[in-house]
Amino acid sequence: MIIDVPFIWTAFVEILKALPLTLLITTGPLLGGLLIGIAVAAVRINSVKIITPIANVYVSFFRGTPAILHIMVIYLGFPLFINKLASYYGWGFNANSIPIVVFVLIALSFTAGAYMSEIIRSGLLAVEKGQIEAAYAIGMNRFQSMKRIVFPQAFALSLPNLCNIFIGFLHTSSIAFIVSQKELNGAANIVASNNLKFLEAYIAAALIYWMLTMLIEGITALLERKLTVYNRGGVV
Amino acid sequence: MIALTNIKKTFGDNTVLDGIDLVVKKGDVVTILGPSGSGKTTFLRCINFLEKADEGEVSIDQFTVQCQKPNRKDILTLRQKTTMVFQQYNLFKHKTVIENIMEGLVIVQKLPKEEAKQRSLDVLEKVGLAEKANAYPSQLSGGQQQRVGIARALALNPEVILFDEPTSALDPELVGEVLSVIRKIAEEGITMIIVTHEMSFAREVSNHVVFMDGGKIVEQGHPEDIFLNPKEDRTKQFFKRINPTHSPYSYIYEKTI
Repeated sequence: MIIDVPFIWTAFVEILKALPLTLLITTGPLLGGLLIGIAVAAVRINSVKIITPIANVYVSFFRGTPAILHIMVIYLGFPLFINKLASYYGWGFNANSIPIVVFVLIALSFTAGAYMSEIIRSGLLAVEKGQIEAAYAIGMNRFQSMKRIVFPQAFALSLPNLCNIFIGFLHTSSIAFIVSQKELNGAANIVASNNLKFLEAYIAAALIYWMLTMLIEGITALLERKLTVYNRGGVV
Repeated sequence: MIALTNIKKTFGDNTVLDGIDLVVKKGDVVTILGPSGSGKTTFLRCINFLEKADEGEVSIDQFTVQCQKPNRKDILTLRQKTTMVFQQYNLFKHKTVIENIMEGLVIVQKLPKEEAKQRSLDVLEKVGLAEKANAYPSQLSGGQQQRVGIARALALNPEVILFDEPTSALDPELVGEVLSVIRKIAEEGITMIIVTHEMSFAREVSNHVVFMDGGKIVEQGHPEDIFLNPKEDRTKQFFKRINPTHSPYSYIYEKTI
C-alpha cells in the first residue's frame, strides 16, 4: 500500500470544515462543566445538608461511567422525559425539534462537571485557611471571602489540571460521531470512506487534533503566567 | 469600651478557657502574657469569633453578642468593629500590598476606590512601606509582610486591633521593625489587645498586663506592678524564668521607622 501524501492535504482541508462543531462540543461542555464543577465543589466543601449526598452520587456516577454512555443515555432518555413534560403541561412541543448537538452538549457538560468539580475542590482546599480567617477578620462574609480571596487563587492553582481536562475533552468530543455529529473525527471517517483512503484521512485528522492541543497548551500556559504572577515574585 | 464576660471554651475534655473576664477601655493597650497552652490565643480569637466560645458574652460599646447562640449577622457586625494581625501574617497572596489594604475598605466599608487608595497609601506610609505598594506579598520579607498586615488592620479604623503573637514567626533581626510599628500606633491612642512573648516590649508599650495560665487570668494590672511586684506565685515563677531585663526576648527597636 502506498500513502497518497498529497491527499493528506486534501483531506486536511476537507476535515477542517468540521472544526467549528468540534470547538462547540469541546468548549460548550467545558464552560457548562466549569459552572457545575464550581457549584458541586462548593457544595461538597461546605457539606451542605441534603445536597451533598446528591453531589457525591453525581460525581461518583459520572466519573464511574464512560462519556459515550452519557451521550447515549441523554440522547435516548432526555427526549422521552421532555415529551412527557410537554404533554403534561400542554406545551405543544416535541423533542424531535431539538438538534442532537444539544443532547451532546448536555451530556458532556455533566461529564466535564464531575471531573472538574474534583479539580476545583482540590484547588479550594489548597488555599491557606489563614487567608480565609484574615478575610473574616476584616469583616467579609462567607460569600465575599469565597469570591474575592479563595476562588481566584483556587482557579490559578487548578489551571494545569483544567488544561488537562480541556485537552481530554477535545479528544472526547470525537465520540459525538456516534450520534451522527459530523465533527473532526466524523468528517475524517466520511472523507476516508468516500475516497477509500483511510490512512491519509486519519493522519490528517490526527494532525488537526495535535495542532489544536498545542494551541490549548499555549493558551493555558499564557493564562497561567498571568494568573500566578503573585507566586513567582511578581516577574511577568 | 470592650467587655468580655465569662468566656468559656472547651475542646472535647480539655478546658481551654475557664471563665475569663476582661474590660478594655478606649485607648488601652492590653498585653496578654502566659506560658504556651494557657489559652491566650484562643481567648483572642474568641473576641472576633474566629473561635466560637461555648459560653460568655462579647461586647463593644453598646453592641453585645452572646457566645452561646450568636447569629451570623451579629458576628459579622462584631468583626467589622475589630481587626486582627496574625502570627503568620495571612496576607492575600494574589493581591498586591496596596490591594491587600484596600480590600476591606472597598469591599466591607464600601469606600470609593480613589478614597480607599489614598487612605491605604497614608497607612502604608505610616508603617514605612510606601515604596512597596505594588509589590506582591511573596516579594517581601517576613517583617515587611507583618507591617502590611498591621497596615491592613489599621486602615479599617477599627474599635480594637487584636494582635496574635505578631512577631513569633519572624526571625530575630526582623522583630524590632515590627515592634516599633506597633509601638508607634499604640502611641496614637488606638485600642489594642496583644498576645505576645516579648516581655520587655509588653512592659514598655502596654498600660495593662494580663497574665494567663490554665485558661484563667491569674493576675492583671499595671505593667510595673505585674513585672516588678507580682502577687501570685504562678506569676512570680513565670517572670523568674523570663527576666525582662536579661531576656533573649528583648529586642532593640529601630528608632528610624
